[in-house]
Amino acid sequence: MAKQSLNEQLDRVAAALLGQADAALSSNGASRPFDPVLRPEVEVVRELKNLPSPDFRARLKADLERRVTMVTAAVRASTEFRAAATPYLCIRGAAAALEFYQQAFGATEQLRLTQPDGRIGHAEIDIRGARIMLSDEFPEIGFRSPASLGGSPVLINLDVEDVDAVARRAVAAGAEIVRPVADQFYGDRSGHLRDPFGYTWVVSTHKETLSPEEMQRRSEQFTNRQTGTSPPAKQPAQGETFREGFHSLTPYLIITGAGPWIEFVQQAFGAQERLRVKRPGAGDLLMHAEVKIGDSMIELADANEQFPPMPSALWLRVDDVDAVYRRALDAGATPIQAPRDQEYGSRDGSVKDLSGNHWYLHTPKPGNAVFESLRSVTPYLHPLRGAVLIEFLKNAFGAEEVYRAQSPDGVIHHAQVRIGDSMIGMGDAHGIYQPMPSTLHLYVPNADLAYERALRAGASSIQPPADQPYGERNAGVKDPFGNRWFIATLIRH
Amino acid sequence: MKARSKEADEKLLVAAAQKDPRCFADLYEANFEHVYAFVAHRVYERADTEDLTAEVFQQALANLAKFEWRGVPFVAWLYRIAANAIADRWQLRSRERGNPAAEIPVDRQVPIDLEGIEKRAQLYRLVNTLPVEQRRVIQMRFAEEKSIRQIAKEMKRTPGAIKQLQFRAVQNLRLRWEEKPGQRTRKVHG
Repeated sequence: MAKQSLNEQLDRVAAALLGQADAALSSNGASRPFDPVLRPEVEVVRELKNLPSPDFRARLKADLERRVTMVTAAVRASTEFRAAATPYLCIRGAAAALEFYQQAFGATEQLRLTQPDGRIGHAEIDIRGARIMLSDEFPEIGFRSPASLGGSPVLINLDVEDVDAVARRAVAAGAEIVRPVADQFYGDRSGHLRDPFGYTWVVSTHKETLSPEEMQRRSEQFTNRQTGTSPPAKQPAQGETFREGFHSLTPYLIITGAGPWIEFVQQAFGAQERLRVKRPGAGDLLMHAEVKIGDSMIELADANEQFPPMPSALWLRVDDVDAVYRRALDAGATPIQAPRDQEYGSRDGSVKDLSGNHWYLHTPKPGNAVFESLRSVTPYLHPLRGAVLIEFLKNAFGAEEVYRAQSPDGVIHHAQVRIGDSMIGMGDAHGIYQPMPSTLHLYVPNADLAYERALRAGASSIQPPADQPYGERNAGVKDPFGNRWFIATLIRH
Repeated sequence: MKARSKEADEKLLVAAAQKDPRCFADLYEANFEHVYAFVAHRVYERADTEDLTAEVFQQALANLAKFEWRGVPFVAWLYRIAANAIADRWQLRSRERGNPAAEIPVDRQVPIDLEGIEKRAQLYRLVNTLPVEQRRVIQMRFAEEKSIRQIAKEMKRTPGAIKQLQFRAVQNLRLRWEEKPGQRTRKVHG
């Protein structure tokens, strides 16, 4: 038998180890001894018998990676999305809300559990990595939605990449703009949107990262603009929240002789008549009228049995108090006090008109920020205890005290509070300045909520919130000092 | 010093994988050959070796959080998982076949030939360092258990040429294996 080459001999060993037919073919091949010089190679071959398959190695790695993905997804679901606090929205029409949040904010539905009666008992959505839980309302267990409660005081802040685009999408899906999108002093561009289910979302895009000190500085600047130590800022929200030409607060005069009164203010103060609606079948008596003086509106109506006359006091800012005082007297007013310089920084005079209203005419001295921040017409009240009224206005309407001059015994000589974008002036009743309860028309973002809040603050109800044919949802309350507040939110024009 | 830094590296790998399971791939890469060698030495069938190796890594992934560093290498933990998995499988098979030996308690504390496993694992890795054709022949011949004729057909070469490639590959592996420091004394062939 010819001597096999070394590579033949080695292969014979390999085939035998692998139990292959090649080796079996050559009779007694496996047992034939190999050249001893091959001993180290044979040892290598013996170990190679168990060489792992590269294919298996790769497949197992892929399998483990798949398991890792599943494990991490499960961990993420159970931990990352479980922030310590998560909003839980109670919604009348949760199914529609799931649809809305998807369209408006790009939410993805994560979970939906439906009750036998069809209501959604629990659902979860994800908006840009944030988890929000929600369900239908269950009044039987006290779980009520904003639709039942008349709104929600909780805001949800939603950070997005493009606030303008998201706001457009949300409005297209049915949201309502409460505050239009605008750059804010704290470095965000944001707006307030109310969804069709009564929740308000502060949609924001971060524009500028500011230090807390810089934020504080800009906040003070912003507040100063609001309180009038700087020129008044443009109020972008007006166009949406108020009727055109109106501000948060408008005096509503209920008087005798509304028609002649309009002629008087035209002649004395250069007022413009904007609207006149006669009471049907009552001659020239007016059901409703609107005049504009300077930058301010006044609404009025002739008194009737339900609403008897309530002459009010109005604070009128003019450029030349002496000239206006003379024109008012010429137009038929009676004098209360001739114009004179006041030590508190303005030249004042006052008259009483034919219907009994007081007009406090004033021309601020240049540089008096408190008076210069006033609009042409500001309602003025003479409460018995101004401090108590201010407290009520804060609680009921979120009023902010801007100015107060008070004697040591607590009598308020003069104070100013802001409600919304408008001011109210007041001084405690004394001498000829006795209480003149007024009627005021107040625009708020949510009439239902403001009505509830006013009642809680101590007002009594005149009428609960109701949609009015003139495009407002309107409620009426009377405060403890006899002033009547008609609280309104625009609905559709 | 070197062993020390290897241990430190391994600690880092384990800690990373415990924190983020996606890092488990690094532990797999570092230990696959060792686990495979350990299992292959105790199991006859290739299919069983693969099943058990897979089981070891799957269990290790699932229980990684429970692993505590006790001064022994991470791979020792894997060997313990492997030894238990092999014993379980042996008992199960015996029971299925009605073998009374299945009821005999298995000694799971078998001594482990750490040095032998290390050597085999090194050899498996050395295959990847061979020239492409030699590597293909070795992988087809041993890992895929193909005959010389099948390999010759696939590589479009004569059986003689394949045997020659196989011989050169084994010689190369032998030389590289011996070169590994601390393995064995280098033999010189004339």
